[in-house]
Amino acid sequence: MTERHVSVENLVKTYPGAAKPSVDDVSFSLPRGEMLALLGPSGCGKTTILRMIAGLVEPSSGAIRLNGREVSGIPVHKRNMGMVFQAYALFPHMTVAENIAFGLEMRGIAKADRAAKVARALDLVKLTGLGDRRTTQLSGGQQQRCAIARSLVIEPELLLLDEPLSNLDAKLRDEMRDEIREIQGRTGVTAIFVTHDQDEALSMADRLAVMSAGRLEQIGTPRQIFDRPETEFVASFIGAGNFLNGRVTGAGEAAVDGFGTLRFVGDAAVGQDVRLMVRPHRLVMGGAANSFTGTVEHIVYRGQILTMTVRSGQTRLQADLHTHAGALPEKGQTVTLGVAPEDVTFIGRAA
Amino acid sequence: MRDRGLILALLIPGLLAMLATFILPMAWLLRASFSTSTMMQVGFTLEHYRAALADPFYWKVALNTLTLGLTVSAFAVILGYPIALFLARTTSRWRGVLTALAVAPLLTSAVVRTYGWMVILGDRGVINGTLQSLSIIDTPLRLSNNSFGATVALVEILMPYAILAMLAGFGRLSTQLEEAAAMLGANPLRVFWRIVLPLSLPGVLTGALLVFVLAISSFVTPRLMGGGRVFVLGTEVFSEATVTLNWSLAAALSVMLLVLFSSVIVIYQRALRRLEA
Amino acid sequence: MKAIRNICLTLLYLFLLAPIIVVFIVSFDTRQYLAFPPESWSFGSYTKVFANEAFIAAFGRSVVIGLVVGLVAVAIGMLLSMALVRYKFRGRDTIGFLVLAPFLVPSIVLAVGLMLVLSPMGLLDSYAGIMLAHLGITVPYTVRTITMSLMAVDRRIEEAAMVHGASPFTVFRRITLPLVSPGLIAGGVIAFLISFDEATISLFIVSIRTSTLPTEIYRYLEYSTDPQIAALSVVLILISVAVVVLVERLIGLRKAI
Ligand SMILES: Nc1ncnc2c1ncn2[C@@H]1O[C@H](COP(=O)(O)OP(=O)(O)O)[C@@H](O)[C@H]1O
Ligand SMILES: [Mg+2]
Repeated sequence: MTERHVSVENLVKTYPGAAKPSVDDVSFSLPRGEMLALLGPSGCGKTTILRMIAGLVEPSSGAIRLNGREVSGIPVHKRNMGMVFQAYALFPHMTVAENIAFGLEMRGIAKADRAAKVARALDLVKLTGLGDRRTTQLSGGQQQRCAIARSLVIEPELLLLDEPLSNLDAKLRDEMRDEIREIQGRTGVTAIFVTHDQDEALSMADRLAVMSAGRLEQIGTPRQIFDRPETEFVASFIGAGNFLNGRVTGAGEAAVDGFGTLRFVGDAAVGQDVRLMVRPHRLVMGGAANSFTGTVEHIVYRGQILTMTVRSGQTRLQADLHTHAGALPEKGQTVTLGVAPEDVTFIGRAA
Repeated sequence: MRDRGLILALLIPGLLAMLATFILPMAWLLRASFSTSTMMQVGFTLEHYRAALADPFYWKVALNTLTLGLTVSAFAVILGYPIALFLARTTSRWRGVLTALAVAPLLTSAVVRTYGWMVILGDRGVINGTLQSLSIIDTPLRLSNNSFGATVALVEILMPYAILAMLAGFGRLSTQLEEAAAMLGANPLRVFWRIVLPLSLPGVLTGALLVFVLAISSFVTPRLMGGGRVFVLGTEVFSEATVTLNWSLAAALSVMLLVLFSSVIVIYQRALRRLEA
Repeated sequence: MKAIRNICLTLLYLFLLAPIIVVFIVSFDTRQYLAFPPESWSFGSYTKVFANEAFIAAFGRSVVIGLVVGLVAVAIGMLLSMALVRYKFRGRDTIGFLVLAPFLVPSIVLAVGLMLVLSPMGLLDSYAGIMLAHLGITVPYTVRTITMSLMAVDRRIEEAAMVHGASPFTVFRRITLPLVSPGLIAGGVIAFLISFDEATISLFIVSIRTSTLPTEIYRYLEYSTDPQIAALSVVLILISVAVVVLVERLIGLRKAI
């Protein structure tokens, strides 16, 4: 790993009166300029982590470092971090420009310099000319841009975004997703954003930190998280999966009900019981290295894809196949499915 | 239209009550203030207004009323503000209880609470009694039977109204905005000055107006706490109406009170519009 | 920082509740005259209050007046609210404004007006007169609480009942009325309490025959401040507390006032 710009070490937060910690021993770090997504189901502690980094919530234990320096003694207003709140939190009694200038004013920057910086920030988020508007006169997307400009204009050490897209409708969301990524790339600011939406996380972040019930499950690039999930939670939370039990019979080979021998990627000792995962859309018609023959039990035609459940003995597989105009499998038919060995992921030892 | 009969039936009792208890009284009040007789509504004269406006005593009374109203509303708002702010922002589970405690005094008679203040501020009351039994003073401090006592009691009696009005007017406050300001580098004092105070100002203004109105029209508290030495429009209206029995003068003074009140409302609305623009 | 804040808040609350606390303490003093701190404790003042026929009679009148005013104010308020919330008609905004107008007039001004109206009808110092006067200041409150609960009723529930065959009157009786009943009760309770505690307007309208408890206390206080009044005040405060708890249970205090 290159230089650690931001790091979080063994962070724990137990809210007063709570039986279990909301954040439980979480550690990760970011190099300068990286965008990290904190991903997990609602209530898993993402916002709490973000707020601890910001200084809005005091950690029960653990450390947060910025450029190697512990920040716990630094009050919120001196941390020099930008934050985009879920509901934007724009100041309703100020214009767009006044909102953006607020942080500069707090830093005692002269009026003329302020105006220049605000103008540049407005350009950056494509709000040029809207500086004199009231924030209530902005559309949802514009408010979002204003909030981003306000937190970037202070040239923060770190940009924090809490579910930045959740208040936008679907179309705007796609647009803002690309835009935020672009702005972050252009400014080179280190950023952490929180989301419960896997698409958002996969498409926006350099790396993902997947959380469950206060714990960090796995951290890695989108491809690592999607193709090589290390825990069953990560595998099932991101994308769909067929989970299979097997016993290792040789190097990268396991005996799995229905497949006979299933070749996979991963290290496991011979004789070990393992858990393996195959994504439904990585299954193809026709036998390849790994082939599975069974009866079509259930089938749904969805336009682009055909979802079917194929059963052999006790094992059921879900397969998502691309459709075409020609003949397609039908219910009750016997079919053979195949999957490449690199698309079979070793999750861990079977329970 | 079947609805029309129904609507009329629904409205009539209310309209009648309104006529008898609001429209007629206000009309009669105006009429009586121009009456040539002191207790009946006959003739037309400006004499009562002339008498009131020519008499330096009533100018003094008007000034006293204005002073009392301004002092009481200023203190009620300043003292009520921290409570209202606390209640608006707290997430404590005691919030309900604390709100009830702040507002509950409204539901006990003003006469009862005025009595409470007579007990506290009286010559042998809580403060003087305690100070004397501790031998800090030998002669009682003059805390009641003067405008000081009336002001203190009115501040306390009207504070719950200020708190309620402020709570209702704090809608634009949110902890998230404060957090946003802090994230942008504002220290707690500046967060208060730049975010909390401006956003709470409409509520403060409404609270001040409400208290002002109630203070300038009060007479029970000024009379009991003032011991007959505090002269405000309320006490004068009451004594003209029930002691001197000059109802026309009482009516004219009431109209003047109404004018004073209306001008304050106009100022208030101007201020509010400027705040919100 | 937080400690300072808490101390300030406690002091402010203490100021707010001071008269009530003090009245409570003094009511148990044994002496015949007002003094502090109490010398010794007894229920003497309470015994005296309960033996004071003038107070007992005034209390009875206040309760009767309050109950009648509460009931009538709720009835009128319900009818007005139904019209204002459920129907569109010309002059609705005007009536809606007029209903709340008494809030905008200093009560002493209203009191003089009411006195002037009631006097030629011979209604000064009569039950009808005082009840009418109290109706004037309580109907705005009942309209406000009932309007709020009526607006909170989901019209689709009423429509569902109609679709299932209920006549408009049945819908009102079986659906609407039960749904707004917390608002009705709260409005009635508030109206009762306002009437029960009201002194300003009452002092212009009643004298001996129909004096209410607050006016009786006021007149008494003009020449004496003895602890009897403290005992009486405690009784009144307890009644208020009971009412506050009731209202809080029903709809939440902040919405009611
Ligand atoms: N201020 C708080 N006080 C007590 N518990 C809280 C507080 N904020 C969050 N929690 C609890 O902590 C857990 C994690 O919350 P949060 O960090 O908001 O989750 P997420 O952002 O992942 O949805 C939840 O169970 C939530 O109920
Ligand atoms: Mg969250």
